Amino acid sequence: MNLRLPRAATAALGACLLLGAAQQVLADDAYDLQREVMAGGCANCHGTDGARTGNVPPLAGRDADYLEERLLAFKRDEVADTTIMNRIAKGFSDDELTSLAEHFANVEQE
Amino acid sequence: MSFDNTPFQPRLGVSRRQVLKGMGAASSLPLIGGFAPAFASNSDGRVVVIGGGFGGATAAKYLKRANPNLAVTLVEPARTFYTCPFSNLYLGGLREMSKIAHGYDELRDRYGVEVVHTLAQDLDPDSHTVSLANGDTLHYDKLVLSPGIDIRWNALEGYDEAAAELVPHAWKAGPQTELLRRQLEGMEDGGTFVLVAPENPFRCPPGPYERASMVAHYLSQHKPSSKVLILDAKDNFSKQGLFTSGWEQLYGDSIEWVGLSGDGRVTRVDAENREVETEFGTVHRADVLNVVPPQKAGWIAERAGVTDDSGWVPVKPETFESQQVADIYVVGDATVAAPMPKSGFCANAQAKVAAAAIVASLRGDSAPDPYWSNTCYSLIGPEYGISVAGVYRIQDGVIAEVEGSGGLSPSDASPEIRQMEAEYAVGWYNAICQDTWGTDA
Repeated sequence: MNLRLPRAATAALGACLLLGAAQQVLADDAYDLQREVMAGGCANCHGTDGARTGNVPPLAGRDADYLEERLLAFKRDEVADTTIMNRIAKGFSDDELTSLAEHFANVEQE
Repeated sequence: MSFDNTPFQPRLGVSRRQVLKGMGAASSLPLIGGFAPAFASNSDGRVVVIGGGFGGATAAKYLKRANPNLAVTLVEPARTFYTCPFSNLYLGGLREMSKIAHGYDELRDRYGVEVVHTLAQDLDPDSHTVSLANGDTLHYDKLVLSPGIDIRWNALEGYDEAAAELVPHAWKAGPQTELLRRQLEGMEDGGTFVLVAPENPFRCPPGPYERASMVAHYLSQHKPSSKVLILDAKDNFSKQGLFTSGWEQLYGDSIEWVGLSGDGRVTRVDAENREVETEFGTVHRADVLNVVPPQKAGWIAERAGVTDDSGWVPVKPETFESQQVADIYVVGDATVAAPMPKSGFCANAQAKVAAAAIVASLRGDSAPDPYWSNTCYSLIGPEYGISVAGVYRIQDGVIAEVEGSGGLSPSDASPEIRQMEAEYAVGWYNAICQDTWGTDA
């Protein structure tokens, strides 16, 4: 599990709230730099943390198995009428796609 | 934990965990004015970002997301940034200027970036300082340069700053884009719009051809007897087959493209008379003339000593740190990053890699493995979109496209797919602007 606000960090919550910086400080502790870099490009169409809603579907908080299945299907050209995701998914290994699916499934919705 | 009121002096020995602990202890104390600067003085490092476009704004945001205890200052003269992406849609009448305008409120208010609206006029890599036009001097541990492009004035004979006021380049969005639009509006039906396209490399490889498309769209609506002529200094261009086929379908023979081999390379511009002369002496007269001139990295890059003889910036692919000057990271159009194109998408992607590398380096860690991707949408018509995509990793020490990934929209795509890509182009633009500036277009 890679929750953005891990249980271990909640101890500091009270103090941080007083500083008005709780969200940022806690996010810092939960921030997996490697995974964020791997997921970085997704935000350019799906919004920061994959949380944007619009004609490009959001990723944040969706079921990890569903996301993984879709990503693998895009990679294998099994999705009809795909425009771009088949070309993008082929740039990642299956393991990386699984990791991305978990990453976005674990983004906490605001 | 000290509460001295001395900003701009990062104490690198303090880890984030220690800061957190210290904050816990401090929570029982009354919070009084002056704490914020003290907090800044206990930062994990000081990063200055120069340039508030796709690269710089993204770098500032993602630095703070990864480590809120960094003191990050963004230096950008403009309070409103107009994007080059979608400025062609403004020319085509599909989008208002206000819908390609972005500000810095989210960076300041949500992420705690200090945004300074002034010009960075010089920097000294030895003392790690940047001097600003407002008289201030900023110290940095790490510097991010996202300077974009500058025009090589007079590299094309007759095309200097004065000429650009008569014959716009509109290759930096803003007043130049508005000037070109006014000229289009003032053109008589039956006139010729001439677009001069440069050799590689330049900002936004498909840009000139999307511009020709959007101008042709405008003309088809308002001045249907007019023509578009593209005079090109090269024989091949981005998404060429897709553009050519789309032009034929939507605009018939209204768009003519002349490449290098057909004497398309312009060698002289006469701005007063709106005439251009090609390599072999053909003179073309335009009713509206748009010159996309030769370019180089934004001038501050040269001051920083990070450019090479090409005028662009070589970087270490793993981190986008300059190959020539330590602690200066350069992202976006200014860099030599092929096969990644000079696009807003790539600037954003490179900024995320550089930000992560800086955060790791200031912690004493090695940089995470980089990942980059790109998608460039182009609109040929309001309901006709095409794209090129790429995913990039490091292979054998250089940036390479992952084999089997990326590529162009299919040449035989249905009208429904072209329409979907036109819609996704808008979805992409809105999302990347939200990711970069936090603004809803």
